[in-house]
Amino acid sequence: MAVQVEALGAVKTGPSKKDIAVLVLLLALGALFILLGGTGTQPGDRSVFTDQVLGDLFVLPSQATLYAVGAFCFLVAGLRLFRALDSLRSVLNWSLVILSAFAFLVWITAGTSMNLPGMVQSTLMAATPLTLGAMAGIFCERSGIINIAIEGMMLSGAFAAVAFASLFHSLWMGLLAASLVGGVMALLHAVLSIKYKVDQIISGTVINILAAGATRFLNLRLLEPAGLSTPGSFDPISIPILSDIPIIGPIFFENQPTVFIMLILLVAVNYAIFFTPWGLRMRACGEHPRAADTVGVAVNKMRYLSVVIGGLIAGIGGAYFSLGVVGTFEDNMTRGQGFVALAAMIFGNWNPIGAFLAALLFGFANALQVKMQIIQPVLPLINQPIPPEFLQMAPYILTIIVVAGVVGRARPPAAEGKPYEKQ
Amino acid sequence: MAEQKNTPQWLRRFAAQPLWVRLAALTALIVLIALISKWLVLLLLIALGLWPLTLLLGLGVLALISTRKGGRPWMRAWLGARLRSLAVPALSVVTALLIGALVIMLTDQEVFHALAQGQIGEAVALAFGNLTRSYVALYEGALGNPFKILEAIVRALSGEGLRPILSAVRGPSDSLVQSVPYIFAGLAVALGFRAGLFNIGAEGQIGVGWLVAVVVGFSFSGLPMVVHLPLAIAAGAITAGLWAAIAGLLKAKTGAHEVITTIMMNYLVFRLSDWLLCGPLEFTQGTCRTQDIAESAYLPRFLGHPVTLHWGFVLALVVAALTWWFLFKTTWGFELRTVGANPKAARYGGMNVAKTFVLAMFLSGCLAGLAGVVQGLGITHNIALGFQAGYGFDSIALALLGKSHPAGVVGASLLFGMLRAGAGRMQSVAGVPTEIVQIVQALVIIFIAAPAIIRALYRLREARREGEEVTIFSRGWG
Repeated sequence: MAVQVEALGAVKTGPSKKDIAVLVLLLALGALFILLGGTGTQPGDRSVFTDQVLGDLFVLPSQATLYAVGAFCFLVAGLRLFRALDSLRSVLNWSLVILSAFAFLVWITAGTSMNLPGMVQSTLMAATPLTLGAMAGIFCERSGIINIAIEGMMLSGAFAAVAFASLFHSLWMGLLAASLVGGVMALLHAVLSIKYKVDQIISGTVINILAAGATRFLNLRLLEPAGLSTPGSFDPISIPILSDIPIIGPIFFENQPTVFIMLILLVAVNYAIFFTPWGLRMRACGEHPRAADTVGVAVNKMRYLSVVIGGLIAGIGGAYFSLGVVGTFEDNMTRGQGFVALAAMIFGNWNPIGAFLAALLFGFANALQVKMQIIQPVLPLINQPIPPEFLQMAPYILTIIVVAGVVGRARPPAAEGKPYEKQ
Repeated sequence: MAEQKNTPQWLRRFAAQPLWVRLAALTALIVLIALISKWLVLLLLIALGLWPLTLLLGLGVLALISTRKGGRPWMRAWLGARLRSLAVPALSVVTALLIGALVIMLTDQEVFHALAQGQIGEAVALAFGNLTRSYVALYEGALGNPFKILEAIVRALSGEGLRPILSAVRGPSDSLVQSVPYIFAGLAVALGFRAGLFNIGAEGQIGVGWLVAVVVGFSFSGLPMVVHLPLAIAAGAITAGLWAAIAGLLKAKTGAHEVITTIMMNYLVFRLSDWLLCGPLEFTQGTCRTQDIAESAYLPRFLGHPVTLHWGFVLALVVAALTWWFLFKTTWGFELRTVGANPKAARYGGMNVAKTFVLAMFLSGCLAGLAGVVQGLGITHNIALGFQAGYGFDSIALALLGKSHPAGVVGASLLFGMLRAGAGRMQSVAGVPTEIVQIVQALVIIFIAAPAIIRALYRLREARREGEEVTIFSRGWG
């Protein structure tokens, strides 16, 4: 606590330190793009972006584009240095993020072509479980309960989805069961951390351990011997008419059911948390439970409810892995995505839309990484292809940077992690 | 102090000798122990395998000492206090094992088949029969079969050599081997807890220690063992410590919560090792495994096959003792505990909280790294993809179970080591997946962390607050 105060003080008295860090990052990014353009591409290279239906969408000169994005980085750095256009800062930041992502695409497609809508769609797919997990975390944490058990809730959801989908021969029953089991795990978290006042990080760790052990155990001992482990996976649903719109149609209106559910929930959750009285009360429980209690909010009841709702959402996120992708259960199939979801939640500042954008960024890193395994672009100077694992690290590194307050500032709910006792 | 008064005569006389005499005597003692270590270990394993006998013997000796005229009344009080404080942990473990038994019975395919045919009596008999078989296998895997050990001793005495004994004490040996990384990882988390830090990154730090120790292990050849082995151990531990210290530094300088940073750093290690093990460090194409280390970096084993117990066990006990000494007998340890108990008071008292955070994370990382080091140098002799065995996450349970005290951690680690060793046998004999142990461990953490459940179940009274309580807070994120 004291350290935090000190850190805050440091930011106030000497703001230059943080600004220097940002400047260095921006300059490094700009230099990277210029380097990629200068040595990673040939002068005549063109990046062709295509669509399955429309054919070529647009063609860009690779080298010039990279130089331009590099120059834009320097420009933003310069603006930061002289504190110009400060009111446009967030616009500039986001356009920088999008342009940087795009620049990477231009670089790896230099001299070849890429299906751009396909890329966007795989980004959205990869972002789906992350967003669902992050929303689960937001529900939990906005009400004041730390949730590092997203991974465990998603894993148990993934397992339940397979078990019940094969039992009832219905994928939708599987989805429902996934959600419910996620909710049950969350209830355990809630009981431990609210009723028994167990340290919430320990409680979360328990759920992660329990989920990993129990799903493997039950899979080996029940599902596989009983032949209940291959229910198949969801087919994409295409919404009539809308899915026929070129480019946008296939991206947004022809998808796995979980993707639609995620998009609907995103809107609903954002509305519920920020635009309803209930949401205000819920957030009050996470920020200042004593005050909430004083005006008649049943703090612990509210926390139970929020944690369980979060679990229900996390369960759906888990079903994405089993029913949405492979159609079976594999040991530890969430592979740490629950923690990436946690990262997305923090990166998005405990805000559903922010978390979604963060998830898109992480999802893009993932899609890019898959693409790069195919194209294998060679990194300039060292003449080695970039190992895909390095791009997989991006979410973790970005999260560390954000919690350290180098770029942006993560501000968690104030009363998080403290059990509430009525006086 | 009570302890001062009870210092035995011979110890006081020994302390009065000049330094060189004491040093020489200690060296001689260590050399002697090393020389007869093989026999000591064999005796230890047999004692573990025949623990009911050992326990009776031990209790008898204790009773004799403590009831002797002019004996040691403090010993009785000490024992009583220890036993009382063991009630909740012991009952937690027992309850968790009982629930585990229930899970095994309720997921038994044979029972389902019997039930489907309407033979309820048959089903119940099968359920209990299979359960007994499983738990007997668990016991034998963990502590061996005492009758076989006795028989082997008789055979050995009749001139058949050590071989029968070695295979009979495989269970206890496996348990101790499994407990070695547990001790280190548990100490790592416990030390973090003492400083008010929650080191969830033990799993990653284990990976770093393992990786670096193995790399040092195979990169040098021709070094003598007295140089190579300590070098590999130190390199692994220190690198892991530095890696963990990043999280401490971030917390001290920017207030970034160590739980988030260590979780994220875990995954950085996993991805980095994915790349290294299937890329630059891969030895044979397609194996995703490094080269084997040079024999001069092996942690030597005490006895022949199939007893794999190695010197890492002794190292673990020594490090546990050092950790205790550091925490409770040094100024730095005192500062660390004070910062853990109340950082504001520590700062007010003039302690450097930031330095303590970094130091605590460094030491915690070193300890966790050692868990990987002993696996790499003592057991696998290389590192392969998928090395993560969950020691890092189980270690949180160990620290809780051991109340963040080194002795408690060692005890809890022995227990978890037994569970893990027994689970392997249970899987091969009774077909119960080893993951049942993970479930049992999770239940143990729940019961330890929420003792109200156990107290309600067994109608125990609220324990008196004795001495200092372990302080663990979630201080929120940020």
